[in-house]
Amino acid sequence: MRQDPEQAVSTIEPALLSRVMKGEHQAFSLLYDLSGTLLYSLALKILGNREEAADLLQEIYLEIRKKSVRYDVGRGTPIAWLITLTRNRAVDRLRAGSIRAKRRSADLPNGSTAERAADQPSGSFDARADQELRRLILAAAAGLPSAQREAIEMAYYAGLSYADISSRLNQPPETVKTRIKLAMIKLREALQKDEERNIPS
Amino acid sequence: MTHGELEDAIPLYVIGALERSERQVLDAHLLSGCPSCHSALREFQAVATALPFGLDVVSPPRLLKASIMAAQASTVGHDTMGHTSDLPRLGPGKWMEHVSQPDSRSTIAWMNGVPKWIIGSAVAAAVAGSVAMAWIAHDSHVTDDSVALTQWKAQAASAASRSAELQRQLEEREQALLRAREELQRSLADTAELKDQLIQREAELDVLKTQLDLYEKRRARTPEDELAVLLRTQTVKAAVLAGTEAARDASGIFLYDHRTRKAWLYTLNLPACPAGTEYRLWLLNEKPVSVGAFRVGKGETSHLFVQSVPDFPGTKAFSVSLEPAGGGRQPAGVPYLRSSL
Repeated sequence: MRQDPEQAVSTIEPALLSRVMKGEHQAFSLLYDLSGTLLYSLALKILGNREEAADLLQEIYLEIRKKSVRYDVGRGTPIAWLITLTRNRAVDRLRAGSIRAKRRSADLPNGSTAERAADQPSGSFDARADQELRRLILAAAAGLPSAQREAIEMAYYAGLSYADISSRLNQPPETVKTRIKLAMIKLREALQKDEERNIPS
Repeated sequence: MTHGELEDAIPLYVIGALERSERQVLDAHLLSGCPSCHSALREFQAVATALPFGLDVVSPPRLLKASIMAAQASTVGHDTMGHTSDLPRLGPGKWMEHVSQPDSRSTIAWMNGVPKWIIGSAVAAAVAGSVAMAWIAHDSHVTDDSVALTQWKAQAASAASRSAELQRQLEEREQALLRAREELQRSLADTAELKDQLIQREAELDVLKTQLDLYEKRRARTPEDELAVLLRTQTVKAAVLAGTEAARDASGIFLYDHRTRKAWLYTLNLPACPAGTEYRLWLLNEKPVSVGAFRVGKGETSHLFVQSVPDFPGTKAFSVSLEPAGGGRQPAGVPYLRSSL
């Protein structure tokens, strides 16, 4: 199914999830069309294995459909919920250790051009709001010192705590904490500045 | 942690970089509703949500959606399956899970709690899904999808292998359960046997206690013992009692010891005491003194009577007369035995 080109992943409405929870088939299909690519990219980034990423996505969407997991509107946006759910499940699998070997052998360099050409259908993840957010976060991340960017990536995509990162990088824990905190503050400021620019005067 | 430390930890919290204990502390603090921390949480949540938008975009296999739809359709009616995760809940913290019931689970952990028939259904659904996917693949995207189809076939094979492994584990568990049951039954049988033995020992103990009591009572009272002691006493003296007119065949022998004041009377052929009567032994001095009373039952030909006696240095004779039970201080009945010292 091809979604509305202006329908953005980053702005999925709580009402859509509500319709999914009520068992509406079309709503579920639309939710997948909107969020599938982003969540698959995230799962693949963490797991480094396409089969595992696809398996994880199947598990998550089925749980959403069966209402085994529930969205709480009071605790964030729908996409924040979906991203957190996917990220946590992927890290769970990563830490379970069953796919480490596969990850090494099938590691993808963050999605090569060839991979994208083979998999990516047109119309996914290309709404203007999503593209704008992508441009913004990439620019903000590029402006971070490499040590800060590395600390963020190790925590978020490898599921490591600051103590784990500290021992892997042979750096004091406080240094790692400070790097993460500073990086997050800079990213937050970048997002806030963009929001302020978009607010009509 | 101070409030400042808690607030400082929020950027790490939202990307899962805190240690478990720190995350739990912050979870608890957020549940308290702290406004400034909730404000910071919202801001940093937005950052964490934006991070994946910076990833290189890789679309899922085209057939994944069809597979999800097919699997979803095949699981209708099994929505209420309960299963919990064996995997640890990993960061970010509970507040970041955005779910009212954050049920972390892996496919393997999920399948562990599923009955065989559901696994069978799932495998059947996977096969059906493969067929459906094969049909869908027959499209203008044959080239693109052939890779995905191969992958999904490999996945189906992997799932079948996993199912076989789960089946094997299930059978092993059943065997272990069977062994445990047999062991339990053996233990219960052993326990029952020990209980029976215990009851038997207790019964034997009761019998022995009863016998011991009887023995002790008998030993305390037995006249033979008293007689044995008396006979070993060097100062013991003896007197013979002869039957009177009332009982010519009766006779008796009387032993006594001045030092211990013990007397022993052995009678033969005394008639049985009529109801309400008893034989009484008298020391005949200036006036008779009652030593004690005894009864002779029907059919008894002999009787042994032992009694402590008062001092009787001046006693000249003994007699046994039949008296009313509990009789008076003076002999009133017919004498049956008499002796003189």
